[in-house]
Amino acid sequence: MALTASCAVILLGYLAFAVPASWFPSAPVKQWSVRDLTLPRGTGGVANNELVITDADATGQVYIAVTTDLRARDYAVISWNAHNVPADASVHFLWRTDYAPKKIFSVPVGVEAGRLLPIVVANDAGWLGRVTGIGLAVRGALPQPFVVSAVAAKPSGAAGILQDRAREWLAFEPWSGTSINTITGGDDAQSLPLPMLLALSIALAAAAMWARQRWRPAAGTLDIAAAVAIMFVASWFVLDARWALNLARQAQATIAQYGGKNWRDKHLAAEDAALFEFVDRARAELPAEPARIFVASEAQYFRQRAAYHLYPHNVYANPQRNELPTPDRLKPGDWMLVYQRRGVQFDPSLGKLRWDGGAPVSAQMKLRGEGAALFLIE
Amino acid sequence: MSLIGLVLGLLLLCAFGIACLAAIPTKTPRTSQPGAVAWTIGAGGLAGLFLATLWLRALSFAGVHFGVAAIALPIAAATVALVGWIARRGGARDALRGSLRDMGSALSGSSLEGTARILWRLLLLWVAVRFALLFIEVATRPLYPWDAWTQWATKARVWYELGRIAPFARTDDWFAAGGAAYYDAGSHYPGTVGLLQVLACNFLGRWDDALMNLPFWMMAVAFAFAVYGALRGMGFEPLAALAGTWLVSSLPLANAHVALAGYADLPLALCFCVAMLACLRWLEAREPADAAVALMLLAAVPLLKIPGRIWALFALPALVVGLMPRRGRRIVGAGYAVAVLGLLVLAQTNPVILSYQLHLDFAPDWEALANSFFLYDNWHLLWYGAVAVALLGRRQLLAPQVAPLTAVVAGGVLFLMFVLLFTNARAWVSDQTTVNRATLHLAPLTIIWMLVVFRAWAQARRDASVAAVAPDPSPDTPPPATVTAT
Repeated sequence: MALTASCAVILLGYLAFAVPASWFPSAPVKQWSVRDLTLPRGTGGVANNELVITDADATGQVYIAVTTDLRARDYAVISWNAHNVPADASVHFLWRTDYAPKKIFSVPVGVEAGRLLPIVVANDAGWLGRVTGIGLAVRGALPQPFVVSAVAAKPSGAAGILQDRAREWLAFEPWSGTSINTITGGDDAQSLPLPMLLALSIALAAAAMWARQRWRPAAGTLDIAAAVAIMFVASWFVLDARWALNLARQAQATIAQYGGKNWRDKHLAAEDAALFEFVDRARAELPAEPARIFVASEAQYFRQRAAYHLYPHNVYANPQRNELPTPDRLKPGDWMLVYQRRGVQFDPSLGKLRWDGGAPVSAQMKLRGEGAALFLIE
Repeated sequence: MSLIGLVLGLLLLCAFGIACLAAIPTKTPRTSQPGAVAWTIGAGGLAGLFLATLWLRALSFAGVHFGVAAIALPIAAATVALVGWIARRGGARDALRGSLRDMGSALSGSSLEGTARILWRLLLLWVAVRFALLFIEVATRPLYPWDAWTQWATKARVWYELGRIAPFARTDDWFAAGGAAYYDAGSHYPGTVGLLQVLACNFLGRWDDALMNLPFWMMAVAFAFAVYGALRGMGFEPLAALAGTWLVSSLPLANAHVALAGYADLPLALCFCVAMLACLRWLEAREPADAAVALMLLAAVPLLKIPGRIWALFALPALVVGLMPRRGRRIVGAGYAVAVLGLLVLAQTNPVILSYQLHLDFAPDWEALANSFFLYDNWHLLWYGAVAVALLGRRQLLAPQVAPLTAVVAGGVLFLMFVLLFTNARAWVSDQTTVNRATLHLAPLTIIWMLVVFRAWAQARRDASVAAVAPDPSPDTPPPATVTAT
């Protein structure tokens, strides 16, 4: 009871800071999906109901635009649903209004964990009249494609903000390459992390009990210890229930992807299926006894992954750099597996293989795939 | 062989460890020690899995090809012999019957009443569901996390297919070896994780990089048993001990290391925690079995991961404090103070000894640390609780029953602070990689410490409260009668 009350107090305090305009607005959330987005600047396309931006234009800019018709004073926050946004990119939210139709207004947008933070526009001097168009300008290098799937204009009243926070806490957090290092506990970027809210709630409730005891000593001291323990365990349970729900959803996804499959089929259903399939064919060409084999690939992931699939052959893949040993370090009977790597040339007429401009070595191409090959050094 | 073979094989290894532990005579009958059965199952199970990796090392050293017969038959024979030897001891049959009855009664919660019984059953169900969900992951998903397939399971694949332990070498040595050595991203890393996977593949009868991680899940289950037994042994009531077991079994990052098994951090954390608990039990009761578990699992820690060499040393402060209650605390406290002073001096100066620069760069990434420990859900509320308990129970931290554990946890926190705040490992804090995995080594033990300190604090409050309401003795008041608890 005390925990619930203190949690409510903290949430009210949070809302006092977080609600940018009206606490109880009447306007509904307006949302634009990928079909409403255009890409006047930059290169990209729609895939899986998302706009995937692969490159900037010649001036190094990406611009995504949406035609809108909304009353500015009804909407306090604009929220872009995007991910993989480069952390060092300069991102701005742009809009124009019927109040000053020749002017384009702009505010910077924060990027956290590859996502765009919500933009509070309610108090901006240019957020007036009817907003006739909004957009997102991104300037900077794009080391990998980034994705925009939707944009929403929100009135951001108290209920809306609480819904957003609840959605962040309950967002499915599937296993990813970083899961072994960090569990965020829902959405990657959270405005009010649930562990912090619960810890503050316990602290506030305990402080209130302590204060009450100071004024009414007859309440006893041990009760506080027991109450703190119960509140701690209850809060831990809340977090654990969220985590258990996430685990259950993950187990469902894992079964859908791998359930009922044997070891080989599981790998053919995994993220690196194409690589596994090629390495599997390569293994058929390799001798039964473990052979020395060098792996070349530009991407560290493919280099290391190919090596893993090739064991128990005696594999060498540089774990850090896209480098192959100099030709003099190879000997006849060695093998080389190349997967998506530039700078490796094979002349079938001469039976010569060379890489990175080095001296050619005699070799046979034993297997060829898309952007991949297996060579036997002679 | 099949999944059944795998499960039976791994259970045999656990049974061997349990039998080894049960064969060591105790001063007090196990049946009269609260939680002794759970402790024996858990600590014995962990020890059994580790002992089996030593057996693989011995087989390889002797030139015996790995195989089910070579691995399982001697272990099965040893287990049967141990069980036979235990059975011949006086009253062994009754003790076993009593233990099984107690275990059944404990699991069903029949010794509890009303709300406590309901809570017990719900909590047990909750923990069971957790392990079921983790089992689905570990048994279904092929090896997933990065280091698992770049530097740990690489060895397992080679050793399983060759049927022996082959050396792994760094780049130059690998080229010089001309095919006699293997190479991976962590060629100098210890091989125990790989050997656990080799055991699983042998019992399974094939290479399978999903099911080979079942030992990780079994270790987590065994750990839960051991923690429950240890907490009961420390005097926690059954429901409180089960709640403590749930707390240590529900840490999200630890769960992730079971579900996405293949790293050495989880086995290290579990072995370190149980080794320290065994140390504490030995300090309390001086039972040889506890000493054996402590030594065995302390030996496992450095064989799991290189930082284990440091973690294993933290048994020393516990022993010093436990064996020398008065001077020990001062010695350990002074040692830690010197260490902190040394860090601060090295951070402020730039000494050079034998051309080695000893300067330490103190430049922590506080935001990333706050994210790791307090804002993300890696640890639920562990570090909030640890800080609160350290503040609330500051007067109980060095109480005789608490001080050895405090010495270990304080040492572990200092070690983590040194690594995360003073070395170039801070890059791994900023990118949220190693910071949490390094912390995982200490996290389960920190929960136990938190529970012990909190209980001591609550007890002290209760004593103070009783003293405050008791009437002042006057010359007319007769002295209170002495009551002996039975």
